[in-house]
Amino acid sequence: MSEPAASPDDIRRGIGARRVLALAALTLAIVIGFLAAQSLAGSAVYYLTPTEAKQRNLAAGQTARLGGQVEPGSLRYEPASRDLRFVIGDGVSRVQVIGTGAPPGLLREGAGAVVEGSFQADGVFRASQVIAKHDEVYQAPPPGATPSHRTTSP
Amino acid sequence: MTTTYYPRVVRGPRILPYLAGATAIVGAIALFMALVWAPADAVQGDVQRIMYVHVPAAWLAYLAFVVVFLASVAWLWGRSPIADAIAVASAEIGVLFTALAIVLGSIWAKPTWGVWWTWEPRLITTAVMLAMYVGYLLLRSLSSDFERRATRAAVVGAIAVLNVPVVHLSVTWMNALHQLPSVLRPGPPALDGRMYATLLVAVAAFTLLYAYLLVARVGLERARRSAP
Repeated sequence: MSEPAASPDDIRRGIGARRVLALAALTLAIVIGFLAAQSLAGSAVYYLTPTEAKQRNLAAGQTARLGGQVEPGSLRYEPASRDLRFVIGDGVSRVQVIGTGAPPGLLREGAGAVVEGSFQADGVFRASQVIAKHDEVYQAPPPGATPSHRTTSP
Repeated sequence: MTTTYYPRVVRGPRILPYLAGATAIVGAIALFMALVWAPADAVQGDVQRIMYVHVPAAWLAYLAFVVVFLASVAWLWGRSPIADAIAVASAEIGVLFTALAIVLGSIWAKPTWGVWWTWEPRLITTAVMLAMYVGYLLLRSLSSDFERRATRAAVVGAIAVLNVPVVHLSVTWMNALHQLPSVLRPGPPALDGRMYATLLVAVAAFTLLYAYLLVARVGLERARRSAP
């Protein structure tokens, strides 16, 4: 006994069902992937704000990244000792940061910064790396002014 | 007895010289606008001009992988060989421009952020995207059976497009170092008008370059397949 040969109609129906299945699987995969990425995104942090860092009670010496604004009037750099000091804040909490070496090109008071390092026992954050953050706003300098940041090596 | 194989002269698609000409003209205009006409950024100075190549490169990466997705779906749907040729061509171009966007971004980051690289969301997701499409191209080299290779690749190519929204939105989902989108965002562009115009022309030039590379590569793929 042999199976009756599949008619062209049967074959067409088979292909149609496979297409529907493939599309459904694809849609499902996309939705799952999107949700997974979004939830992963929610749980992973690149940096903590000073408030979050205080809430977490980070132990002295524990490596962390802090991000926030460089408080106006707090930025000091001593070229002789290569001592860099500023306060990083998020509007609620502030943390004194000490780093070594010239500040990166765009580090300015009132602008964003991310620091890598750890808290000392006295609550000062000792940064091994200072990264300046730039926002998405791009403007021409006002007439007659030169750009404040000249891109020559420090 | 030895057989001599002569290389076949492959003449590219007829539209190719026109695409090359258009790319050169728009590219020259973009270059002038980017280096002479557009103002330097008030804060960053001239280093901001890297934007006019970094952003279009990233745009091409998105565009190329969306085309891989469309071509992959088209292959799964209709099994037309040209769809598979477009998918592989676009994936190769996408890998090239993703890598270029990373390198150019890195060159911008050193004088501005102060580091070449940091493990922040936009950079990580872009690196993952690059790795997935390199994987896609590797997968294609595993099988020599045309149908099987095309189908496997199409499934991966259709799913990997997820990377595109993930990369683009990564800066809004998490605390990121990378700035938010200045153009593809809710609300008006956060750019000076001349910078915006320059960026649009640069994106147009890169898109023409993409079209040129795609047409040339698809032509090459077809010639390769029809070779004896």
